[in-house]
Amino acid sequence: MRLPKPRLLLAVPAIALIFVFMILPITNMAEMSFRTTGTSEPFGEDYTLAHYSRIFGDAYYWGVLVRSLLTAATVTVLCLLVSYPIAWHMSKAKGMKAVFLYACIASPLMTGVLVRNFGWMIVAALNGPLNETLMALGIIERPLRLLFTQGLVILALVHVFVPFMVLPINNALRNISPTLIEASTSMGASRRDVFRDIILPLSFPGIYPGVILVYVLAVAAFVTPALLGGQMVSYMPTLIIGELTGTFQWPFGSALAIVLSLSTVIVVAIFTALTAKLMERSKA
Amino acid sequence: MATVEVRDLRKRYHNFLALDGVSLKAESGQLVTLLGPSGCGKSTTLRCLAGFLEPNGGEITVAGESILSTPANRRGFGVVFQNYALFPHMTVAENIGYGLKLQKVSKSELTSRVNEVMDLVRLDGLSDRLPREISGGQQQRVALARALVLKPKLLLLDEPLANLDARLRDEVRWLIRDLQQQSGITAFYVTHDQSEAMAMSDMVAVMKAGRVAQFATPREIYQKPTERYVADFTGEANFLSCTDVTPQGDGRYAIAVAGTTLELGGVPGIASGAPAELLLRPEALELTMPESGTFRGTVTKSAFLGAALHCEITLPDDSILKLSAEPNTQVTTGDAVGIAIDRSHAWLMPKVAP
Repeated sequence: MRLPKPRLLLAVPAIALIFVFMILPITNMAEMSFRTTGTSEPFGEDYTLAHYSRIFGDAYYWGVLVRSLLTAATVTVLCLLVSYPIAWHMSKAKGMKAVFLYACIASPLMTGVLVRNFGWMIVAALNGPLNETLMALGIIERPLRLLFTQGLVILALVHVFVPFMVLPINNALRNISPTLIEASTSMGASRRDVFRDIILPLSFPGIYPGVILVYVLAVAAFVTPALLGGQMVSYMPTLIIGELTGTFQWPFGSALAIVLSLSTVIVVAIFTALTAKLMERSKA
Repeated sequence: MATVEVRDLRKRYHNFLALDGVSLKAESGQLVTLLGPSGCGKSTTLRCLAGFLEPNGGEITVAGESILSTPANRRGFGVVFQNYALFPHMTVAENIGYGLKLQKVSKSELTSRVNEVMDLVRLDGLSDRLPREISGGQQQRVALARALVLKPKLLLLDEPLANLDARLRDEVRWLIRDLQQQSGITAFYVTHDQSEAMAMSDMVAVMKAGRVAQFATPREIYQKPTERYVADFTGEANFLSCTDVTPQGDGRYAIAVAGTTLELGGVPGIASGAPAELLLRPEALELTMPESGTFRGTVTKSAFLGAALHCEITLPDDSILKLSAEPNTQVTTGDAVGIAIDRSHAWLMPKVAP
């Protein structure tokens, strides 16, 4: 009998963890999504496809799904635009300045999710500091209605997800040898050429995980849309939580969750496929 | 092609003076080597030439015109880096063609020029490989091709052979020299390897603590160094302290050394009675019978190296001479020997602070 390779043995805790906390619950949820609606219990005895046909047959759910995916995409793009210059700056910093910048970047994560969102409610309120500052500066004449808008949800999500984008990009930028920049400069590249042809493609190994992380987190965000989005607009997570804990429609809520998960996986897969060549070339 | 002149170049980093008045001149088509140990300022000089660093003072002219205000990307110089600095995400052909692409040359011209230069550096068939898929020697040739394809006014090479093994180093060295001479490009070459510098250069600048200790042909650097530092850096050397230096005019001196008097050539301008050192390269020395040599001494070490017998001779004043003798010479430690010197290979230098 051959002993299992030690490498496999080392993987056992990870596999066990993933099995118990990911595979099992997802399987359970997938199964739940085919259950019939119960009358006195959260779910019934029999199996049905009714929940899926209800979701796909109703423009309302399509709308919420598309809104969720688009909002997450917007958050991701804005996050990338905000984070790249920060990551660039950070990749140049050394010593105490670098430590200070890391602390600043991580700061949104150091605040609890409720506190952070209540903070936004105060900041964005009609007579809150943001409106007062803008009015004092003469930029606006009357207060803007910011609270309970999609814009505020996006802003708050970008704020909290910036670290997930900055850190991997910073890492990738640090791995670009400065002589590559000098080499391209000596070949006639302007600063813009250097950025477009060298830095941007070579930082892709950082952009890729950043984009995936932020997108997945943004799709699944619940507290921020629930608190700052108000009652007017719904997102998939708020809808799902509503079904699961509000009306106790476990099978329907599960079906919504499965649809959201699969949609996210598809988006990630498309992004990965589109960038596979760039990723393959630019990884160190 | 162009004459390149560096005048009184100065560069300061915080409290460290990296360049303290470097002056050099490369005539059109010459290969000038900057030779010296690490930290002597040779790479800093090259980086100022390339435009990656801005000097604090001095002037660099190409064909008589200052280039200091021209940014690095408009200088039109080719640079070859020690670590090659190939773009890892571009194929060999894309690396080589990158500069042409920036110049927006037509696709057909780009392809033909890339193929031409790949042929020149013998890289045929590797166009579609990524840098990480080819060997170090091939990477080095890509780096060279990438610089040459742009037909640069000036080629700057920063220790291009340092990361290659000995066999490849020889091969690439001759390739660089051949290409440079064929194309007639003026080139600056940074190295700490004296044999590389000797073999390749038209002119060598031996650098010492941010200054040029000597700027001359390889032959002069080796045979007529201006100071001990230069002689030491360019090969095996013996030094003997001299007294009673008397100038004889025309760069010749009479000196007293190790118990005898000699007349020989030296660095012009050594004052009468000034402290001086006599440079004797091992090949200027020959073992003789004790009674017939210029010096007498005792063999204190001898080692058979195959092609030669390496000896160390201690002179009466305790100074030591190293030399290579004919391998079948019969000497053992403790023998009294004479040493004949070839006066045309002996050279007197002023004693300066190291």
